[in-house]
Amino acid sequence: MSEIAPVAAPLDRRALAELRVRLADGLHARAGEATAKAAPRELLVCAGGACISCHSIAVADELESALAAGGLAGEVRVVRVGCMGLCEAGPLVVVSPDGVYYQKVDREGARRIVAEHLGAGRVVRDLELAWDSPDGRRLTGREVPFFAQQVKIALRNCGVIDPAAIGEYVARDGYLALEKALFELSADDVVAALKESGLRGRGGAGFPSGMKWQFVREAPGDEKFAVCNGDEGDPGAFMDRSLLEGDPHSVIEGMTIAGRVTGAHRGFVYVRAEYPLAIERLDNALAAARAAGLLGEDILGSGFAFDIEIRIGAGAFVCGEETALLRSIEGKRGTPQPRPPFPAQHGLWGKPTLINNVETWASVSPILLRGAKWFAAIGTGRSKGTKVFALAGAIRNTGLVEVPMGISLRTIVEEIGGGIPNQRRFKAAQSGGPSGGCIPAAAADVAIDYESLQELGSIMGSGGLIILDDHTCMVELARFFLEFLVEESCGKCPPCRIGTRVMLNLLERITKGEAVPEDLDTLEALGRHIQRTSLCGLGQTAPNAVLSTLRHFRAEYDAHVLEGRCPAGQCKALLTYTIAAESCSGCALCAKACPSGAITGEIKHVHTIAQDLCIHCGACLSVCPTDAVEAV
Amino acid sequence: MSTGNELARDAATVETHAVDQPDDSVSPATLALIDAYLGDHPGGAERLIPVLHRVQEELGYLPHPVIKAIAERLGISPIQAYGVVSFYHFFTTVPRGRYQLKVCMGTACFVRNANSVLESIRDTIGLEVGGVTKDRLFSLEQVRCLGACGLAPAMMVNSEVHGHLTRTAVRKLLQGLRAKARQKRAAGEADGE
Repeated sequence: MSEIAPVAAPLDRRALAELRVRLADGLHARAGEATAKAAPRELLVCAGGACISCHSIAVADELESALAAGGLAGEVRVVRVGCMGLCEAGPLVVVSPDGVYYQKVDREGARRIVAEHLGAGRVVRDLELAWDSPDGRRLTGREVPFFAQQVKIALRNCGVIDPAAIGEYVARDGYLALEKALFELSADDVVAALKESGLRGRGGAGFPSGMKWQFVREAPGDEKFAVCNGDEGDPGAFMDRSLLEGDPHSVIEGMTIAGRVTGAHRGFVYVRAEYPLAIERLDNALAAARAAGLLGEDILGSGFAFDIEIRIGAGAFVCGEETALLRSIEGKRGTPQPRPPFPAQHGLWGKPTLINNVETWASVSPILLRGAKWFAAIGTGRSKGTKVFALAGAIRNTGLVEVPMGISLRTIVEEIGGGIPNQRRFKAAQSGGPSGGCIPAAAADVAIDYESLQELGSIMGSGGLIILDDHTCMVELARFFLEFLVEESCGKCPPCRIGTRVMLNLLERITKGEAVPEDLDTLEALGRHIQRTSLCGLGQTAPNAVLSTLRHFRAEYDAHVLEGRCPAGQCKALLTYTIAAESCSGCALCAKACPSGAITGEIKHVHTIAQDLCIHCGACLSVCPTDAVEAV
Repeated sequence: MSTGNELARDAATVETHAVDQPDDSVSPATLALIDAYLGDHPGGAERLIPVLHRVQEELGYLPHPVIKAIAERLGISPIQAYGVVSFYHFFTTVPRGRYQLKVCMGTACFVRNANSVLESIRDTIGLEVGGVTKDRLFSLEQVRCLGACGLAPAMMVNSEVHGHLTRTAVRKLLQGLRAKARQKRAAGEADGE
């Protein structure tokens, strides 16, 4: 496939159609789909955030120079694609159309791929991504369960197209849904399709998207806005980041369709300042869409005008709440407003505003192209389609996955995630970020959807899924989230501002072994009050981490409070430190590090800790070079 | 009761304020930067956050007189602008170090012992969260998830992500940066002679 010339002049519908035909085969091949004719050979290099941190750009450069040195420069093209999902194995390189995946590729690996795979025609076995299946077969490429179990709708182009090439997005039927919305479908048809599809907001609350679109469409007003919420503040979540980095046009297209349907002519994408690469790629994509006549005045000759601006966040978690986000776009402090009125009636500058999450926007085009019925056939009774999860924590395959609603946590953890590393035991999964809760391993077979997670005391949230093993203390985890929320509470309403602080104090007492049994009842009662009386979603969900761990891991709280013991061995103040005589080399580093002079011993002889002097700071544990210090 | 972070932040603020008593002047270059940005982006007070971003990108922080100058140009009160600066974590009125350490305290890093990274920084260069070293070489912040969960525990030094950190790796990294700075300084002094 030849290099795609940058689009200089506005494209018309015929030019778009030609691009689709010309590039279709190559792109089908990259995605592992059947093609009409043989596709050219390409090397896809993951240029997602995590792989770039592992120097994937240097790998791409090395591949190009190796190709040039081998006289293959004209035949094989290196394509820098968006996130492929399997961050743990990065940098990833895929040889297309062969479908061979290479993992943890460095510069030398890049040279070997060119010399051995492309030159000599044999797969570089020791670099190939391969898993052993339970029946002993060696699974490679797309057979690997991490990829095989996924269904990609929102992420359909991530890892397949070069996000900087608008032509490649077009060739994956990009902007075809916009053409339909401009020339074939009425606004009511689009709303009806979204309603029938059952698509619900992917930002966390799960409000039916079609209804939201209808409210804004029917809201009176001469000026309306479309807003994309890309303020992905949940720690452990990187779905929005990867989508904006890997396929920015899918968001632009969804928003432009919404403009057509609701009568909005201006859109805003609000992105975190922590995501400079996402901002850069989105900015480039907006410029490319404008140059191609897909944004701006008179889009594709339809007479419809729409444009999008980027607004960069400034590090405030509460701005993920929609009313706070809108205040922030207006240049104000991001404090939430009471709802109603909802943004659909009274949003940005008091005008009707349609605000959706990144993943929701990216799901719009496939629904219009493939039909509401197709989408609604995936998922469970009330939760349709797929959900993107960011899989992280104590899991073998950290990464980004898109799975059908209704999949079990066990499938995600054991098959897609590859299980728990270091021979530890799966204890729980934390979903929904600080607003969410913990799903215990005992509930791992529950089909995941909006309702089932709520019943378990958690929420779907935006899709962060942190896997916890038996070395995680649930009380300490709850304390971690509370500390986060205390810092991020905007301070407007007292239940959240004061209540979360009091809860944090109680949790700190528990982790220090200073709590009394009544404290647990106080925690629970206080948590319920905060849920009921807080102004916005941040406060209303703030107690979830505490309440869900109290519910599912009560014994762990009791061990802290009643026995002064931390079963996971994490709460320093509750641990007893001892030195194992057989491992101690007598280096005296621990004695030097001990701030309370509790450790004594001669150089080159076994040291001992005087328990009455020990202040449980753990300094000895961290300096010991022979791991002789034990904490239980 | 304050968390350790807040205490550290307060201490750092007090320390640096005592060093830099802000005078009221804003350099002509900074004023030109503000005016150029506002000239290129017509609009109203909604431009406050973008213009603050632009200025902090250039100066590294937002001195009070600069905030005042921006407020005047946008037709809002200085306290309104200051309220925005203090609300968002990204904005700072305190200068940062040449090497800005941002330790990820996202959940994935937390689960993989990000605390040990903070402890190792404290043990190596004596820096707490929110602080700046006396030589202004290092400043330390904790951030909520760099989105590099596959590399947990991770830290950013300026714009570069370092992953899979251990106590030893952190110590070596910081000692390396300090040695590099010392070499540069020595080379600079040699040039000066």
